[in-house]
Amino acid sequence: MVQLLAPSDLVFVLLAAVTLIAAILALQAKELIYGAIALGISFIGIAGFFVFLDAPYLAMLQIAVYVGAVVVLILFTIMLVRREETEALSELPEGGQGAVGLWLAGLLAVAISGVAALAGPNLPSTPPTGDLPVSSLGLVIAAEYPVPLVILALLISAALLGALVLAKLEK
Amino acid sequence: MVSLVSYLIVSAALLGIGVYGLTVKRNAIRILFAVEIIVNAANLNFAAFTRYLNPPQVSGQVIVFYSIAAAAMEAAVGLALILVAFRLNQSIDVRKLNKLKG
Repeated sequence: MVQLLAPSDLVFVLLAAVTLIAAILALQAKELIYGAIALGISFIGIAGFFVFLDAPYLAMLQIAVYVGAVVVLILFTIMLVRREETEALSELPEGGQGAVGLWLAGLLAVAISGVAALAGPNLPSTPPTGDLPVSSLGLVIAAEYPVPLVILALLISAALLGALVLAKLEK
Repeated sequence: MVSLVSYLIVSAALLGIGVYGLTVKRNAIRILFAVEIIVNAANLNFAAFTRYLNPPQVSGQVIVFYSIAAAAMEAAVGLALILVAFRLNQSIDVRKLNKLKG
């Protein structure tokens, strides 16, 4: 499926390896802080995929929003939560739940990959030629989906107010 | 060039990693990590499908745009909830957050 000959394929494989290993590290790292940093690296890998897919604006947005805002927010939260608390919870749970989770996740990933591989012959193996100009995304959002944009703005305002109210909650 | 199936497989692997985190982890912050990973897997799928299946249109990218904004919002609210849970409970172990249990 993936030939290691063309340079773009090599870059894709490297990007996939970085993204997946960083995602695993984010969940398995002993220290929560390292996990958050690994999560940021995984997000940067996804941004690389967006560049590959001719979506430079999404890559920029991904880095600005996820790496710039979400990961930093997570880091601050980790600092606000007591240190020994975050460390003690890093171990795997007792009993068979770890194995069950692993089986479930593996089965899901293999099943979806299998379906994708079965459908493979019907799916295009090379992207159609012709690039997607960055400006077209802005035009489509502004011209065809203006109402969702307004709803999104309201939703963000409501969510941020809610987060503020929650964080200020007195005991 | 890279085929569409490769993107789907990477995305499925990310989904698997996220589901593993959701089912196994006890730390609320790590569960939030897992949710973010799953959202990213979905975003990757949208971008890949829109690139390969209807090239002049960018509707998939529009969905990813909204999805990124919604996920960032969800992270902010989730972290505020975790802070409140920690303040009330002195713990972010999701197995200890059982005050509503009858």
